[in-house]
Amino acid sequence: MTDPRLRARILRWALFVALAGAVYFLRLLPTGSGSGGIPGPDWEILLAFAWVLRRPDCIPAVLFAAVVFLGDILFLRPPGLWSVIALIGLEFLRSRARFASGLPLLFEWALVGTVLLLMTLGNRIALTVFLLPRPEATLDILHLGMNLLAYPFVVGASGWLFGVRHELPGGQGEPGQRP
Amino acid sequence: MARERHASEDYARPVRRILIGLLLLALFAVFLLWRIDGPRVERFRAALIDRIVPSFSWALVPVARFSEMVESFQSYQKIYEQNQKLRRDLRQMRAWKEAALQLEQENAKLLTLNRVRIDPKLTFITGVVLADSGSPFRQSVLLNIGSRDGIVDGWAATDGLGLVGRISGVGRNSSRVILLTDSNSRIPVTIQPSGQKAILSGDNSRLPPLDFLDAPEAVRPGDRVVSSGDGGVFPPGLLVGHVVLGSDGRLRVQLTADYDRLEFLRVLRNYTVGRVTDTGSLVIPRHTGSAEADLPPSPEAGDD
Repeated sequence: MTDPRLRARILRWALFVALAGAVYFLRLLPTGSGSGGIPGPDWEILLAFAWVLRRPDCIPAVLFAAVVFLGDILFLRPPGLWSVIALIGLEFLRSRARFASGLPLLFEWALVGTVLLLMTLGNRIALTVFLLPRPEATLDILHLGMNLLAYPFVVGASGWLFGVRHELPGGQGEPGQRP
Repeated sequence: MARERHASEDYARPVRRILIGLLLLALFAVFLLWRIDGPRVERFRAALIDRIVPSFSWALVPVARFSEMVESFQSYQKIYEQNQKLRRDLRQMRAWKEAALQLEQENAKLLTLNRVRIDPKLTFITGVVLADSGSPFRQSVLLNIGSRDGIVDGWAATDGLGLVGRISGVGRNSSRVILLTDSNSRIPVTIQPSGQKAILSGDNSRLPPLDFLDAPEAVRPGDRVVSSGDGGVFPPGLLVGHVVLGSDGRLRVQLTADYDRLEFLRVLRNYTVGRVTDTGSLVIPRHTGSAEADLPPSPEAGDD
């Protein structure tokens, strides 16, 4: 059975992996952004969040966890911790996707912002509990701020460039919405 | 068909939830394993990076060089000022060169008088900076030399002029250098004219502060900072930088190494370094000689 919907979905998985790979590649470049800079936004996580709120089926949890775990390994974070936190955030947003599909962008932004804030707090709490060195609070706040600023651009780009938009009710519906 | 899908979805949801739970558990287990047995997981990390990053090197190096070219092209606008500044610097350097030559002659004379033999063990291997996973949270670079070239954890890396960092994590074809600015970096240093000992502890800013300074009043901005070799972790006498007074009133170090242009790094061979094999040796290195028993055991001991 050649299901066009399945094919589109697999294409989106591939697109997500390719985009995350490109983000990691650019971040690895030895261009010496170095010390004292402003932490850039986590494009791969923002992308996954924006997509999962539009098409809950286009970011599989395993794929997302693998991508973030690879990031943990490459960028010297404690391996696994940030993946656990990000995966919880993703699954929370996935369960709210239907609720969020009718909301204007501003509310969606607030929802994602709250999730990102809780993720940052959770990360700091976990680092404290496991007696690991924490980054300075100002860095974390800057990081969160950059993520928040970047989110609308990610949403815009995924809409215009990659065609990831909300499902129209009654249109090319998801499997569950069909009568 | 629609109903079939619906039914299968009802069935799939709890199964999916269990699978997500298992996935979360697995990731968390990796984290716990890392917390309990750090060196082993770090070796796994080094091996994985070793597999992934060098395969990108065909693209990493040209792209990085290109972006550097764009940056230096932007600096052409200020070329006249730079030229003037360089001429001034050159005149100063001539004076210094004269002084250095005289000192070198004097030094040679004194060395022959004393029959001092310079340590021949300090040879170096030069590596190219492959990737820079520097974020404001973590400051390190990857070199294209690894255990294949005999690199060992803990060796010092310089850019030819000043100390840059130390090797932490060696794969077969790659190794990671933790920069002095990273918040996990602690190295023992001596401040030159006064001979004060201190610990240079990175805090992710460009100017790492000096900690555990005995008499801060004896240290003035402009003093030279060199590595002291305490604890046998680092070769002594490597130039680190100059003391500056930070805007927060702390004594900080302006590093001599040009952190904006780390292209080639020299890794100094130093076979006296204790190897990190398990978590215990992180706290107490075994290779400290009996003469050094009263010194602080290792820079890592301070940061937990």
